[in-house]
Amino acid sequence: MKDRLWLVLRLVDLPLWIFPPHEQAVCVLEKRRVIAANPAAIEAGVHKGMDATTAQLLSNCIIYERDTLQEQNYLNQCAEHLYAFTPYIHINRSAFTPDSGLILEISRCLKLFGGLESLCARLLSTLTDLPIAYGLAHTEEAAWLLSYDNYSIAEGDDRALFIHRLNHIPIERLFDWPDAQESLKRMGFLTLGDISHQIERQSISAIKKRLGRDFADFIGRLFGIANNLQQTALFDKPRQIYQPKEFFFDTMQFDYPITHIDQLHAPIEQMLQQLGEYLRKRKLSCQKITWRFFDIHHNSHAINVHCAAPQTTWKLLYDLTHIQLENQQLSFAVDAIELTCQQLQSSQEKNNQLNFSGRRNKNHGGDDLALLEAKLKARLGEQAIFKISYKDSHIPEQAWDKRSAFEPTEQQLPTAYQHAPHPTWLFATPFPAKIQQQQLSWRGQLQLLTGPERIENQWWATPTARDYYMAIREDGLRVWVYEDLLEEKWFVQGVFAG
Amino acid sequence: MTSTKAKPDKSVTLEQVLRRGDVWRGQSQRFVPHAALDTGYQELNKRLLNKGWPLASLLEIGQLGASSNNGLATQAEWLLFAPAIRQLKEGYTVLLNPPALPFAPGLIQAGIDLDRLLIVDAKKKTDFLASFTELARAEVCTALMAWQPKQNLNYTELRKCQLACADGKGLYLLFRPLSAQQQSSPAALRLRANLSADFLEIHIFKQKGSLNQVEKSPAQLPLPRSWLPTAPHAHLYRTTHEADITSAKKIIDLKRNLL
Repeated sequence: MKDRLWLVLRLVDLPLWIFPPHEQAVCVLEKRRVIAANPAAIEAGVHKGMDATTAQLLSNCIIYERDTLQEQNYLNQCAEHLYAFTPYIHINRSAFTPDSGLILEISRCLKLFGGLESLCARLLSTLTDLPIAYGLAHTEEAAWLLSYDNYSIAEGDDRALFIHRLNHIPIERLFDWPDAQESLKRMGFLTLGDISHQIERQSISAIKKRLGRDFADFIGRLFGIANNLQQTALFDKPRQIYQPKEFFFDTMQFDYPITHIDQLHAPIEQMLQQLGEYLRKRKLSCQKITWRFFDIHHNSHAINVHCAAPQTTWKLLYDLTHIQLENQQLSFAVDAIELTCQQLQSSQEKNNQLNFSGRRNKNHGGDDLALLEAKLKARLGEQAIFKISYKDSHIPEQAWDKRSAFEPTEQQLPTAYQHAPHPTWLFATPFPAKIQQQQLSWRGQLQLLTGPERIENQWWATPTARDYYMAIREDGLRVWVYEDLLEEKWFVQGVFAG
Repeated sequence: MTSTKAKPDKSVTLEQVLRRGDVWRGQSQRFVPHAALDTGYQELNKRLLNKGWPLASLLEIGQLGASSNNGLATQAEWLLFAPAIRQLKEGYTVLLNPPALPFAPGLIQAGIDLDRLLIVDAKKKTDFLASFTELARAEVCTALMAWQPKQNLNYTELRKCQLACADGKGLYLLFRPLSAQQQSSPAALRLRANLSADFLEIHIFKQKGSLNQVEKSPAQLPLPRSWLPTAPHAHLYRTTHEADITSAKKIIDLKRNLL
């Protein structure tokens, strides 16, 4: 078995890099501590781990909160570029430090790219725009730790050299094992070399006994050994194969420009059928597709079609596209169309709840509802169709929530709510009621029937204290009135209709 | 060509017309839809053909209030229709153009499943008609409660609604102001709801397949107990009032004795 060779590309100062460059001092914070600072800030005396206020006072810097999502996106982009060299790529993000990087296994592609030095040079030139620390070793853990030393890469580097380099690494660099680091320091260990001496004398079991199985396993993986330094690990850790993000793209060029939307139906159907076939073969599903229409002058128009549930077939996507097209006018003659589906998900990973209750399947008629919703939205706008849900609040105007047609609603009323009757219609802004000659009136005289139900809340924000009553109007209408105890005014807030 | 086409039309006109399901034929119930949904009120079931709200047809409910300047048309519609809607175990109940915001706690108390309740806002008349016909024809919509927009619907527009309802299978309700009662309408059932202090009164003034033009007495549906004046308040008022009278009488008697 050929020895493995791991290359780590650690992206130095990635948390800072993702933000726009400034001449002024810039600091990136996480939990109010500086995790990265630009040269201007460092010159002013800011260092990593400093608290935000001190850093601000020292350098008057621009402050950013760490954006881990954007960092992840950047790492994904890098991985996508490096996929051209090796399929074995994974992203490593330290849980205890802000460091992150890419780990590549390169033993299988050395010959193709003309040896180690030439491959490394090409790899680094792909990611030139970012400061990178690299480390090469026989295990991924070792390569990661060696990336802090910046040894130069040479053709003849082998396992013995890597272990020799590892032996010089101080214990403080075991960032991801803070507890073990602390214990090792107390026991008088200073470098990883001290650990390897210990293993040489007593095998790895002594480490396991004192510092736990997890740490002993880590040391085993780090040196690539089983029980002692002479015995190499029997089984290599399986390599992770990089899965490039899948997406569907199809385009169609017409022989003549199309001016009528009706003429687009057939090509759209054909392209969607191809998408359906693609999804079926790869056991994928998609929720959103984008159509782009082009004319010969490269004018373009895009239509997004979005389904509530992931689709494995093309039928519903076709109907939804059709509805959207019906409501649009083509401003130019279409020469080409493009279909893109960026977010594909595995259709097998979809979770479906087991239905033990014997109740009706809530997704029943889901497609019909999606079509109906799309038709109504196309005509009336995005906000025109919705569901309402209960929201836990004592203030009536805040006790409900707007949801989309496909979201589940909250229907559990707290016990306090269940006793008093509540109206079925609510006025978002309550109407003021008048008091004339000791008589309450709102578009007719009101007489209180039941109540009061006192609602007091939000003493920490805007205090509210209201006494709610059901009242009957002259014409028999039952309305929900309240007396605002703080303002000493009466309001009508709802109507009882059932 | 045109004359030859016109001739056979003329000869079968009456027969063709009579064969159509949507022609009203007095008391003949041959073409009256038989599917009905229990109203949940015995009193009301008795007065309706097929003992319930007719399905797949337009029901028109006249309500007090919309015509007046307050613009709020509501007259215990949930009280009247919630028992029927609760029986529908599938599909969605859609509120088209509701007069105010549906209040979640109140609807939960009325037994309405919020998961199957959709609200659609269509304020313009054209949008309203398009949405109504679309919803009535959609199989997922098993109950539709629609409130007429500010502009009144004319006969043709109502007929479009009725035709869409006939294509569906659900319960289709159209709430209109009381003033629309004078206008003719193709709805299969027309009624007027009137809320009083003690009852919800329902006048059925037009029903397909029945010639009883005007009922002598309206159906009186009971109101929930919480809607009625509660005894403690009434009692309190009566006792204090009576106590005042008795004490006044006593004083008069005393004065008389003194005199």
